[in-house]
Amino acid sequence: MSLSFGVAQILNALALASLITILASGLALIFGLRGAMNFAHGALYMLGAYLGYSAGRSLGFWPALVFVPIVMALAGAALEISVLRPFQGRTPVDMALITLGVGWIMEPAVYYWWGTAPLSVDPPPSLAGSVPILGTMYPAYRLFLTGVGFGTCIALALWLKNTTSGMHTRAVSHQAHISRMMGVNTDRLSMLVACLGTAFAGFAGVLAGPYLSVDPGMGSTILITCLIVVVVGGLGSIGGAIVASVVYGFIQVIGAVFFPSAAVLAPYLLLIAVLIWRPQGFGRGRVT
Amino acid sequence: MNGTKVASARLGPPLQQRASVLEWTRGRDWVWPVVAVAGAFLPRVVTSPYLLGLLTSAVLLAIAAVGLGFLKKQCGLGMFGVAAFIGAPAYLLGIAAARFDLGTAVLLAFLGSTVFALLVGVFVVRARPLPFAMLTLALAQMLKSVVTLQGLRPITGGDDGMSMIFDGSVFGLNQSDLSNVVSFWPMAWLALCLVLIIAHFVDRSRLGHVLRAIQSNEERMRFSGFDTYLPRIAAFTIASSIISISGILIALNTAFASPELLDFSTGGNSLVAMIVGGPGSLFGPVAGALLYQFAQDAFGATGHLTLFMGVALIVVVAACPRGIAGLVADAASRVQRFARKRD
Repeated sequence: MSLSFGVAQILNALALASLITILASGLALIFGLRGAMNFAHGALYMLGAYLGYSAGRSLGFWPALVFVPIVMALAGAALEISVLRPFQGRTPVDMALITLGVGWIMEPAVYYWWGTAPLSVDPPPSLAGSVPILGTMYPAYRLFLTGVGFGTCIALALWLKNTTSGMHTRAVSHQAHISRMMGVNTDRLSMLVACLGTAFAGFAGVLAGPYLSVDPGMGSTILITCLIVVVVGGLGSIGGAIVASVVYGFIQVIGAVFFPSAAVLAPYLLLIAVLIWRPQGFGRGRVT
Repeated sequence: MNGTKVASARLGPPLQQRASVLEWTRGRDWVWPVVAVAGAFLPRVVTSPYLLGLLTSAVLLAIAAVGLGFLKKQCGLGMFGVAAFIGAPAYLLGIAAARFDLGTAVLLAFLGSTVFALLVGVFVVRARPLPFAMLTLALAQMLKSVVTLQGLRPITGGDDGMSMIFDGSVFGLNQSDLSNVVSFWPMAWLALCLVLIIAHFVDRSRLGHVLRAIQSNEERMRFSGFDTYLPRIAAFTIASSIISISGILIALNTAFASPELLDFSTGGNSLVAMIVGGPGSLFGPVAGALLYQFAQDAFGATGHLTLFMGVALIVVVAACPRGIAGLVADAASRVQRFARKRD
């Protein structure tokens, strides 16, 4: 195996991991606030990708990257008002089923507007070429994706660590009742977080367009990976989800380099290993 | 030992819930064998192969939904990755049928998937309901990745799926009988009856009482000296075996196993059937499966099935968590109360 092949594999895995980090942190945020595992997240990501396709064709890639997350944040507000808030007293499984139903309603709507044929999105001209890295030519767009993905997570981590709203979010994720007793307005916070989570899903969708293709199955495949990442990270722990995505990425790297044929099994092996070794996941999640 | 017996007897009556649909048959136990035997002769009445095919699909779906409903009722656990226990036995059957005669292959597939369920159960029943749902979903997805591995292509057929050639016969049916809906029907129907009987008797057994007591307060059961882990493994294994009967029958009927069997949507069908029908009663999942299959027939052509499934799921979970069975039971008790008032 040549060195350049190994480097390309590592970069590929990192690009995928950065996409999953964005999605998984959105899932973990919403779960932390509302105790709801958002099974519509895959469909939201798919909607974001399709919106990104259309917006990219009429406005260009860069405006789409700003415009789509804003639209998706509005969708998140709708989700918060119509689903997350009225059903907040329900069990987590009920919430999972309801959001699963929301996803199932969104999917045919997307197919109705855009059809079911896979669509391809070109990267913006400034990122269309390849750049040399350690003796191999690598697509510039994937490097951009990796940088933006992890940059987003760092920004999220900084927000959670250094601002009052971030502190409140961490507090509610950890002990919802006590935080409410201490005067945190969970409804307002949840609105913010739902908007942020779905905006992240839309952002990931736009970013995924030129990297993967835009197709009907894209949401459900990545959703399961993200669910695994969130469970491995520790339910409700946002930091844990970020760490788990990076670990997932590296396991994918090692798998891709040393056992290319079995690399698809890596996330499941990670899940099983974590469950045996530390059933509550990496992070300090919700205490219930 | 004596003490535990007393405890379970005390727990018995209040936890025992009987659907009002079953009230009528109390003291009329002869009804059930008659229905079971009469049902096997349904192809004499329903001559349309299309309708019979639809009913067969509904029965196969109902078997999986009964297994799911059993797990939901006894343990409060909803399995999202039902597909794992539909696809795994189907593939096991295909692998075994290539080497042994059909009867042995069916037995091996059933035993194999039961052992597999037991091993999985050891890990997953400790999880709380939401992680449990997600773990089983990951399990199904993992199996799907396994069967599509390039290295296993000679055995599983990869993305193309696996055609099966059956040698010999099972319950007197050979390959062509199994693929013929008229001769296949009695087997599917009697399997559904068997599964309902198992679910009914486990529900009323000591195991059923203990399971529901654990569900309502696990800590108290532990303090009272009950093992709370083994009964749940048993329930998970029973439910998964019931679901794998559905998988084996699907494989026998179609002589084909494909990665789609392990897809989330395959399991999603029986999950929706179970929830819409109502897990609390024995016949709820069966009613849900029938409704699902006819809805699929009506909407399948337009491609709006997912949309209606989504709406049905939200409406049932949000508005009537006990499903159709709950609605029927409520309506029946209202009618009874009304009749009593008139007297």
